[in-house]
Amino acid sequence: MEEKFDCIIVGGGIAGLSAAMTLARADRRFLLIERGEFCGAKNVSGGVLWGSDLQRLVPDYWQRDHGFERFVSHRRLTFMDGGAAFSVDFKSDHYRTPPYSGVIVLRARFDEWLAARVQEAIDVSAAADESFLATNVLVDRLLVEDGRTIGIQAGDEQFFADCVLVCEGVNNLLTRQAGIEPEYVPADHVAVGVKEVIRLDRVVLEDRFQLSGDSGFTNEIVGYATRGVEGGGFVYTNRDSLSVGLVLGMADLRDKGLKPYDVLSDFKEHAYVADMIRGGDVLEYSAHVVSTGDVAAVPERLYGDGLLIAGEAAHLLLNAGRAIQGMDYAMRSGILAAETVVAAASGGDFGASNLSGYQQRLDESFVMQDMRRFQDAVHVLHSPTMYSKMPRVLCDFGRDFFTVRSEPTTKATASFRRAAKKHVGLWELVKLGVRAARSL
Amino acid sequence: MKRLSISERLGKVAYRNQGRADVRAHIEVDTSICNGTCPHKCTTYVCPANCYTLSEAGTVQFQFEDCIECGTCLYACDQGAVVWRYPDPEQGRGVNWNLG
Repeated sequence: MEEKFDCIIVGGGIAGLSAAMTLARADRRFLLIERGEFCGAKNVSGGVLWGSDLQRLVPDYWQRDHGFERFVSHRRLTFMDGGAAFSVDFKSDHYRTPPYSGVIVLRARFDEWLAARVQEAIDVSAAADESFLATNVLVDRLLVEDGRTIGIQAGDEQFFADCVLVCEGVNNLLTRQAGIEPEYVPADHVAVGVKEVIRLDRVVLEDRFQLSGDSGFTNEIVGYATRGVEGGGFVYTNRDSLSVGLVLGMADLRDKGLKPYDVLSDFKEHAYVADMIRGGDVLEYSAHVVSTGDVAAVPERLYGDGLLIAGEAAHLLLNAGRAIQGMDYAMRSGILAAETVVAAASGGDFGASNLSGYQQRLDESFVMQDMRRFQDAVHVLHSPTMYSKMPRVLCDFGRDFFTVRSEPTTKATASFRRAAKKHVGLWELVKLGVRAARSL
Repeated sequence: MKRLSISERLGKVAYRNQGRADVRAHIEVDTSICNGTCPHKCTTYVCPANCYTLSEAGTVQFQFEDCIECGTCLYACDQGAVVWRYPDPEQGRGVNWNLG
């Protein structure tokens, strides 16, 4: 048998790389295995990395040759119907001081950048010659002996470790092999994300979105964007391109019989979006499954003997209306899993009861606290009234309120009541409003 | 902006092992289930890479070459017709994102 690692990390996405950075800093010996040609080569997200954990991993991440596209300085939430867009818009100076509260990323670039920072940390660690980032290697299965995970099989090769940390993403085949999730997972708690990256001249982009330097704009859109399918759309500014896409509830898409790329084409033709992307060239089309943030989708147990599960493999994600959080959850869960490995290594006990400390840490962290606290908001967002009828109410109201006619003007409350009655019914709207207000 | 077809969109995706003739399939579909008992044939429209198509006779056909490994069919097929694996880095197909 070959020399054993303290930990094998499967997957060089944000969860895996965050764990790797934590292990390198603690001088542990680990092997990170990534199936892509480089870390990031297989990864897709919207995507905004929210929160401040990136600074914990790379304290000066905004300096030098940074891995993100732009920092978030201007946010907008838009309710759209076929002809109008009603937005809540917020731009603030406080966003402009690093560490930023959110950075816009393209994963093939960002993950590769983060992997380079991890390699730097390995190089100065006490285990510099015994820890590795291995790309282009596919893990076929976990090696299990007497119920304990002892390593992995990759082609003809086997690698052994005290524990395996699975950060394989939402298409979590190893998590299923381990029995943490059933072999078949139904479509109820996942969505299909489709996206285009559209190139714009940098000056045009900055003028069009009123940006300067590395500042960036994020826009989430509900309503007509998805042609009645549960979900929403987004527009994010990269350095010299836009990420324009949709997240479509998979079960609802299946029921409605629509093709995700057709819905994306319609979204791009809406005047609101068409004006943003005008003159741009599509550089890349991409798609990926994404969890919808229902806490019911998170497996009951995220550990076993010699086994830990982090990131979206554990369906850690939340969209409660404020932000679509997934990458920050991957980052924190990867860090917590690695800290658990470090603690286990000091006592030499990698049994399930000892590794259960990971789940406890995760439960106490913002990740599970927020997932539990905002479940009602998740359900409100996923109700047809919210994603389909509310945008029509607001746009009808907007057309009335923001239009000046040379005739007697209706009072705002009356025009809101009229718009609400037409699409929802007043009582249903009041109920939804109270529920939404409480849930946030 | 011009409306792009799905084949134009897939033309902007970088794939691995494109020159290889004997590339190995990473997804296996038992189309006898799709064409026999499946009530919705949903993969023919939910797949973002149009890997599942309907022939003129209305039968489901599958090709893995355009697959972008998104995982949609892994979840969307509730009939047990799809065996989903990741492509082998050397002998398989699959994506190589430039931007992601």
